Amino acid sequence: MTTEPLLRVDHLEVGFPSKAGVVQAVTDVSFEVRPGETLAVVGESGSGKSVTALTVMRLHPKSTRISGSIMFEGRDLLALDDDEVRAVRGNEIAMIFQDPMTALNPVFSVGSQIVESIRIHQKVSKQAAWNRAVELLALVGVPEPKRRAEQYPHEYSGGMRQRAMIAMAISNEPKLLIADEPTTALDVTVQAQVMDVLHDVQQATGSAMMLITHDLGLVAGSADRVQVMYASRLVETGGVDDIFYRSRNPYTRALLDSIPDLLATSARLEPIPGNPPSLLNPPSGCPFRPRCLMAIEHCAESVPELVSIGEGHASRCHRTADIEPTAEATS
Amino acid sequence: MNTVDTTSLAAADALEGLSEQPKSFGRLAWERFIHHRLALVGLIGLILIVASFFIGPMVNDYAFDKPDVLNRLQGPSREHWFGTDEIGRDLFVRTARGGRYSILIGLLSALVSTAVGTLIGATAGYFGKAIDAVIAQVINLVLVVPGLIVLSVFALNFGSNWWRLSLVLAALSWVRIARVARGVVLSIKEQDYVMAARAAGASHTRILFRHILPNVVGAVTVEITLLVGSIIVLESTLSFLGLGVRPPDTSLGRLVADAKGNIDNDPLRVLTPGLVIVLIVLCVNFLGDGLRDALDPRARSNRDD
Repeated sequence: MTTEPLLRVDHLEVGFPSKAGVVQAVTDVSFEVRPGETLAVVGESGSGKSVTALTVMRLHPKSTRISGSIMFEGRDLLALDDDEVRAVRGNEIAMIFQDPMTALNPVFSVGSQIVESIRIHQKVSKQAAWNRAVELLALVGVPEPKRRAEQYPHEYSGGMRQRAMIAMAISNEPKLLIADEPTTALDVTVQAQVMDVLHDVQQATGSAMMLITHDLGLVAGSADRVQVMYASRLVETGGVDDIFYRSRNPYTRALLDSIPDLLATSARLEPIPGNPPSLLNPPSGCPFRPRCLMAIEHCAESVPELVSIGEGHASRCHRTADIEPTAEATS
Repeated sequence: MNTVDTTSLAAADALEGLSEQPKSFGRLAWERFIHHRLALVGLIGLILIVASFFIGPMVNDYAFDKPDVLNRLQGPSREHWFGTDEIGRDLFVRTARGGRYSILIGLLSALVSTAVGTLIGATAGYFGKAIDAVIAQVINLVLVVPGLIVLSVFALNFGSNWWRLSLVLAALSWVRIARVARGVVLSIKEQDYVMAARAAGASHTRILFRHILPNVVGAVTVEITLLVGSIIVLESTLSFLGLGVRPPDTSLGRLVADAKGNIDNDPLRVLTPGLVIVLIVLCVNFLGDGLRDALDPRARSNRDD
C-alpha cells in the first residue's frame, strides 16, 4: 500500500450544461489507480463511469464544467494545455473503446492505423513501426498477423477488431489503459477471449487498467479492486472480495442479485426495480432511495457520506450498520 | 458429367477466394470501377474525345484561324470533317480547339473549386461553432449570387484567356463542394474512430487530413464530376453570349453562337458543337457515378450491375 498511485482523482465533479440546466454526471468522485493494478468501475448506464474515464482522457466537450483534480504521476491532467494533453493521450494513458465496429477508420488498413498510433508518439521509421504493428497483432492473438495487418477493418470480425484496438492501445506501452466496456459489443464467447487478451497484455506491459463495465461477471475474473457508481457518485469501493462477498451497500447487493447464476436455487432473476434517477433533478437525499428495499425516512433527508468500513473498503449508505457484512457468503 | 465439373470448379474458385491475399483499397476500388459498365463507357468516351481534340488537329493540315475563302460554308467531307464556316475555316479543327478549352476550363476550375471548397467546407464542419457559422453564411451568400450576371461582368473585365475564366468560374463554384464537404464532415466527425484518434493523441490537423478527409472523397468526387459538367455548360453559355475566349480563338459555345444565324439552312453546324458539349458532360457524369461506387469505403465487394 506504500506505492505511489499512478492516477489519483480527487473530488472530481463533471457537469454538462444543457438548455434545461446542468446535468451533473460525476459528483465528488475520488479514487486511485496504483501501478499495475486493475480497477473496475461498475454501474448502470448513466451512472457516470464513462464520463469519469473520458474526463481522465480530457475527451469531454469544451462546454463541460469540471472541478477537482486528476493527478497522473504527479501532474494535474486538468491543468495541461492541448499539446501536453496530446502527448499523454495514447502514450501514457490509452483507451479502448466499446464498439470496435466503429472505432476503426474504414479507409485504412488495420496495420497502418497501428503504425499511425505508434508514429504519433515515437520517432521511428514506417518500416520499424509496421514490424512493431505486426508484432502487436501477434501479441493480441490475431492469426497470420503479417497478412492481417494489410487487411481493412471490414475484413475483420468483431472480436478481431477489438484485438486490433487493444494492439493499437498498447502500441506505446501506456502506463494506464482505460477500457470502456471493451466487451459489450461482442459475442459472449468472444468476450472471454478478449478479457484474456487484456489480461495477458497487462502482464506483458505491466500497465494498470481502469476497466469500465456494467458486467459484474467480468469484474470478478479480472479486477483487483472495484468501485461501484450510481447516479454520478461512488457508492461502494473495495477489493474484489469486499464487493462480492462482504458488500455492505444495498445497491451493490441489488446489482449482485441481478447476475444470472447457473447454480442458483431460485428460478427467478432479481432485477432492480425502476430506473436510475434523472441527473438533471436528482431526488432529495440518497439517489437510490426510490428503488431501495431498505430505504427509511432518514434516506430522503440527506445524501449519505462515503464511510470507510474496513481496510480499503467504503460504502455510501445510511444503513451500512444494519447490513450483515457476511450475508453474501451464503451464495 | 459436365455439371459436376462446373460445380466443383466453382467450389474451388470459392476456396481460392478465401485464401486470397488481401487486396488494397485502391485495387478493390479499381475492380469495382471496371465492373461499372456506365463508368467504363464514360471513361473510354472521354479518352476518345480528348484524344481526338489533341491529336485530331495534328493529323489535319488546317489551322483554326486560317481563312480559306474559296471553301466557305462547306458541308462535312473527307477534306473538312465537320465542314467549314463562313470564311472557310475548318470546323473540325475549330471544334477540337474549342473542346480543348472546355475541358481545360472544366478541369482547372473544378480542381481549384475542389481544393478550396473541400478545405473550407471541412474546416467549417470540423471546428463547428463560430467558424462554421461564418463560413456557412459565406457559402449561402455565394450560392444566391446570380452566377451568370457576375460572370458576365467578370468575363468582360478579366475573362480574356482560359485560365482567368477558370478562376472566375471556380470563385463561384467552390461553394458547391464546400457545402457537400461540410455536410459529410459533420457526420464523420461524430464517428467513434475520430474519438479514437483523439484518444490516441492525434492533433486536429492530423485528424482532419488523415481520418476525416479520406472519408469525404467519395461524396466530393461525385460533386466534382457534376461540377465539371455544369462548368463546361456555363462556359459554353458565356461563350455563346460572346463573353468567353476572344476571337479568333473559339470555344464550343462560341461555335454554336457563330452558326445560329444560319440554323435554318445548316442545322448541322449548330448541332455538332452542341452534341460535343452534351457528350463531354454525359461522359463526365457517368465517370462520376462509377467513381462514387468505386470509392465508397463501405462497399465490400464487386457489385454485379
